[in-house]
Amino acid sequence: MEGGGSYHRMPKVRIREMKDDYLKFELRETDASMANALRRVMLAEVPTIAIDLVEIEINSSVLNDEFIAHRLGLIPLVSDRAMEMRFSRDCDACDGDGQCQFCSVEFHLWARCESDQTLDVTSADLKSNDPLVQPVDVARAIDAAAAGGTLSSAVDSSDNRGIIIVKLRRGQELRLRAIARKGIGKDHAKWSPGATVTFMYEPDIHINEEMMESLTLDEKRQWIDSSPTKVFDIDPNTQQVVIVDPEAYTYDEEVIKKAEAMGKSGLVEIYAKEDSFIFTVESTGAVKAYQMLVNAIDVLRQKLDAVRYTEDADFHLLDEHMGGAAL
Amino acid sequence: MNAPDRYERFVVPEGVKKVSYERDTKIINAASFTIEREDHTIGNVLRMQLHRDPNVLFAGYKLPHPLQYKILVRIHTTSQSSPAQAYNQAINDVDKELEHLKNLLEV
Repeated sequence: MEGGGSYHRMPKVRIREMKDDYLKFELRETDASMANALRRVMLAEVPTIAIDLVEIEINSSVLNDEFIAHRLGLIPLVSDRAMEMRFSRDCDACDGDGQCQFCSVEFHLWARCESDQTLDVTSADLKSNDPLVQPVDVARAIDAAAAGGTLSSAVDSSDNRGIIIVKLRRGQELRLRAIARKGIGKDHAKWSPGATVTFMYEPDIHINEEMMESLTLDEKRQWIDSSPTKVFDIDPNTQQVVIVDPEAYTYDEEVIKKAEAMGKSGLVEIYAKEDSFIFTVESTGAVKAYQMLVNAIDVLRQKLDAVRYTEDADFHLLDEHMGGAAL
Repeated sequence: MNAPDRYERFVVPEGVKKVSYERDTKIINAASFTIEREDHTIGNVLRMQLHRDPNVLFAGYKLPHPLQYKILVRIHTTSQSSPAQAYNQAINDVDKELEHLKNLLEV
């Protein structure tokens, strides 16, 4: 076979804003298929850790067992370990439901209300056997305490009381053991690290300046106000129409329709740049937003690696069958 | 009760090949690849990459049914190339693009 040429692209990335649970970046010089693959992988295939198995010992709360198990599953856990962990279904060190350092993390919860005041059972009551895997809000409180202030004051501060699992009245008790496992969002949404992952095409807006100048100031204002989002404005000095925020444009075409209605079709032309994308990534906190992107690239590369076609794949399968037959 | 296991959506069953190749009987240099347990994520990115290859005359993919967890990628190439070669080249090219992206992010 002749050696095929290489036709890969060299995309560019510019990070605009980065917080632990938020990322905004530009991806340029690539295709929508690549942008969409990254988005899909971030949402459904970047692994995280979530509670998957719950053994309830005592539950005299008002919520039934499965309701509580479901709520526990949805609590985001710090999943920095997830990329290195094993899926419990391919873990050979255990049978998949025990305490195994490679594929699971155990949690215990015990709460009993002894007073007349309602007791909130929260994510802070979950005791993990792995200090690296904690509910994200608890981990944040620990970090805040380490940075200054006491642990209890950080946990008790009104904006960070933990995620409420159930409320108990006097005499009610909840006691359980939970096993958290690695998983992906495709399996169950509780394993998705993404709260929202979106991308938009960067708009390319061209104003026909000559035609625009044929409008009176009042007409310009009317035209600007026809846009549901604030994309255009009037320069107070020159009284010219200026683009203040091209990305506020939602491809609603209201300004184009308005221009037509004013008998000024062609006043503005707006195209979507086919190779520029603006991504917004919001994380649940399980994986940091930036790490979600890095992990998505790794996961996508692993997936690609698995779908390479080898002609001798058939022979490998044959070998396995023959080996099996010989036994 | 008889619901299939959730992981059946993304774990290739034992004895099933991840990728299988079937030559087109009517057109030379045309073939379709069946990729088990993959979806639009891989399908669309491969298709678009194949379109960049001038030796590829046709490239398309389909997800035949939402409950059949597989995709079909059909490729027709010129005599300068072959479907298998174009297919693997497309994978390598997407991988290079991702490697480049990763290097950009880890500065």
